[in-house]
Amino acid sequence: MKARFWKTCSLGVLGVVLLLGYSGVILAETTAADVEQALQALSLSQSEKILEAFKIGFVQGNLLPEETLRLVTRLTAVEGSPAEKEAILLAIASALMDSLPGKTLVDKTLEGLSRGVPLSQIGRQVSIRVRLLVEVRDLLYSKGVFVATEGQAASSFLLPVRFDLLVIHIADALGEYLEGWGSPLDGFLLEEVVHLRLSKLKGVVIPVEDVELVLARIGPADLARVVREVLDQLSERTTSLSE
Amino acid sequence: MRGDNLEEALKDVLRHEVSVKAPHLEGLEERIVAELEGRLPKRGLVETLKQLGAPTRGARLGQLAVIGATAVVFLLVGTFLVGRAPFLGGGPNKTATMSAVAESGNAVLFLMPAPGAQSVTVVGNFNDWEATPLSDDDGDGIWTASIPLSPGRYEYAFVVDGRWWGQDPLADEYVRSFGDFSSVRYVGRAGEGA
Repeated sequence: MKARFWKTCSLGVLGVVLLLGYSGVILAETTAADVEQALQALSLSQSEKILEAFKIGFVQGNLLPEETLRLVTRLTAVEGSPAEKEAILLAIASALMDSLPGKTLVDKTLEGLSRGVPLSQIGRQVSIRVRLLVEVRDLLYSKGVFVATEGQAASSFLLPVRFDLLVIHIADALGEYLEGWGSPLDGFLLEEVVHLRLSKLKGVVIPVEDVELVLARIGPADLARVVREVLDQLSERTTSLSE
Repeated sequence: MRGDNLEEALKDVLRHEVSVKAPHLEGLEERIVAELEGRLPKRGLVETLKQLGAPTRGARLGQLAVIGATAVVFLLVGTFLVGRAPFLGGGPNKTATMSAVAESGNAVLFLMPAPGAQSVTVVGNFNDWEATPLSDDDGDGIWTASIPLSPGRYEYAFVVDGRWWGQDPLADEYVRSFGDFSSVRYVGRAGEGA
């Protein structure tokens, strides 16, 4: 009788522990459904398109649901027109649709929001950063640096994480240079900026061989072309919007 | 005197007995243990489980240990599955992989001289640009906070009584962002950051 009592108690305790453990682990995770719910509060006209892009970003590991939820929550809390908020989200969504890393764009947006920068200005900066990510990614492709798929083991085929790190930091260095009113025509300065950034992260965040591979393959003319492309596209967009 | 003789005689007898029996005493403990082990019935898996089910104190402790171990295993497996399985909201996570490369975490000191300030915080891309407060416990006007950061590049600014201050003298470099300055620290380079 006593033995049965103890067995029952033990099984009960075990059940409760497992239930609490599982529910704790699962409840702590932010999901796409949470992001969808938060997006509804923004009253966007293209929320489905944005959500779809976010979901692709989640699956590809280019953005985390909790980062996205934080962004949407902060955008909801700030005053401004839904159209301007949507423009920022659409810019980030376009990067995710293109399989580009989204965290750096979310960071830029959160910084702008925290500084109290007008939403239109944040949107413009995020758009520049998206264009830079695209152009830098394409530049690496054109120089024979690729994302490795399963089974590829050449030095110029990098794992997605390592490839993304290069794209993020080169694009970020160029973006900061442009934000600081650096001349977009001076390829040597652009190269120096990129060289400095990668050198400081070499062996700490970015593997040494990746930095050496990229620095050996891109030069001043390549970087000047990247920046020119970005600015041209931006001015075309501004012109078409004003027409 | 008679007592002394008696004691001496007893000691002689004991010495003799010990010298005669000493070879038999060698390894006595091991022999006893071995014999006891040989006499004990071998306990199979079923017997062991039955013993765990018995209402003795040892068995109850055994039950608790099994429950605890099972719970830990389930939690670990659950956490692993949530991190891996898309249906549980996981999926491949490049961000996590990147930060996993640098989990060691250096405590980085943020220091801002601001005598007379009411509040000093630091905002940056390590805290999603949300305020982390600095403290000035001794009231000397030097506000500090020590924040553990993985190796990497961090942009930040101080906010002193609501006013942004983007040029930290301890920064590795400065960048212009949204028309204002931000400080930059590189954490993890040899001899720097921490």
